Amino acid sequence: MNQELLKGHLDLLLLAIVAEQPAHGYAIIARLRERSGGTFDLAEGTIYPALHRLERAQLLESSWATGIGRSRRVYELSNAGREALATRRNTWQSFATGIQAVLGANT
Amino acid sequence: MNDERDLIAEYIDKLLGMLRVDPRRTRRILVESEDHLRETAERLIEQGATPAQAQATAIEQFGRPDVVARRFAAEEGRLLPPPLLLDLVLSLGLLFGIGMAAIGVSGALAAGMGTAFGQSFISGDPPEVTYTPARCAYLMADQPGSRDCEAAATAHHYGEVVGYRAVAGVLGLLVLGGWLVIRQRYPRFSGVRILPEGFVPTVGAALFGVAALLLLLQGTGSVAAGRNEGAGGYLSGGIVSLGVFAAFAVPLFRLLVSHRKTSAEIDEG
Repeated sequence: MNQELLKGHLDLLLLAIVAEQPAHGYAIIARLRERSGGTFDLAEGTIYPALHRLERAQLLESSWATGIGRSRRVYELSNAGREALATRRNTWQSFATGIQAVLGANT
Repeated sequence: MNDERDLIAEYIDKLLGMLRVDPRRTRRILVESEDHLRETAERLIEQGATPAQAQATAIEQFGRPDVVARRFAAEEGRLLPPPLLLDLVLSLGLLFGIGMAAIGVSGALAAGMGTAFGQSFISGDPPEVTYTPARCAYLMADQPGSRDCEAAATAHHYGEVVGYRAVAGVLGLLVLGGWLVIRQRYPRFSGVRILPEGFVPTVGAALFGVAALLLLLQGTGSVAAGRNEGAGGYLSGGIVSLGVFAAFAVPLFRLLVSHRKTSAEIDEG
């Protein structure tokens, strides 16, 4: 998988993963890898800057969770994040449909 | 696993040294990173890895600390100087400063040898050297109290050997002083470590080891052949180079022993 190609869609993927269920960084990355069948396998440490950026953009919210022996930051989707996810999902689906139509016409 | 070598803790320390973000975010980034690494290691142990292997793999999957730090800095719009270049400049600056300071010390040693054994031992020309009338006139004018051209040449070169080395020593002290100021005033800026841990002692030991070998061979060879003129110039440099070589070789040896133990722990668990 071209990593540069993935980076362009990382925000959409992270928002979609967090939308399923609030989760901490490890779980988000594990789900991203699992759901993609191992295709999306970025260096794990580079996912956190993206999560922080989405939080600064107020698309994610986070809070400390304790009681597991260690402090851990749990992320969840904000209302703005939910709207952004819906918009980006529609944009991506239109884009993917267009690409598939062109590719399909050539096969 | 050796409790004294916690690879994840070492990684977090490196990340702390490389992060250039709003200080209020630093603690959160470190806590999140450590939690992630420890959870990854725990899962790997559950799958059968040894603690040392699990930590090493968790760190490898997380990514190099400089890459992670640069990604955080980029998200905040902060520019970091290329860490490899920065580390290289600081490491070579340290080596240059030590080298120049060592030359200064060798100048002082040469001056001591000159006082004890005569200036000819430091800077005397070999007996077969001859001087043209013009060169002789220049040397006698430069060293008016000299009895002949040979003595004038010895005094002239002695001043160069001791004087130039003293200037190099002062330059070395200035470079080392600047290096220390950068390290103390900008610990984050200068705390970047991309080059291998043993880079400075390896390069330093190699350079000064070769210098010591060549200079001591030249100096002792001259003395053994009964040609003492100028031998002290080589010997003073060789003796100081040998001392600096030892100063680099000892920590290098300790580092190699430490890495060997860690590798054995990871291999054997």
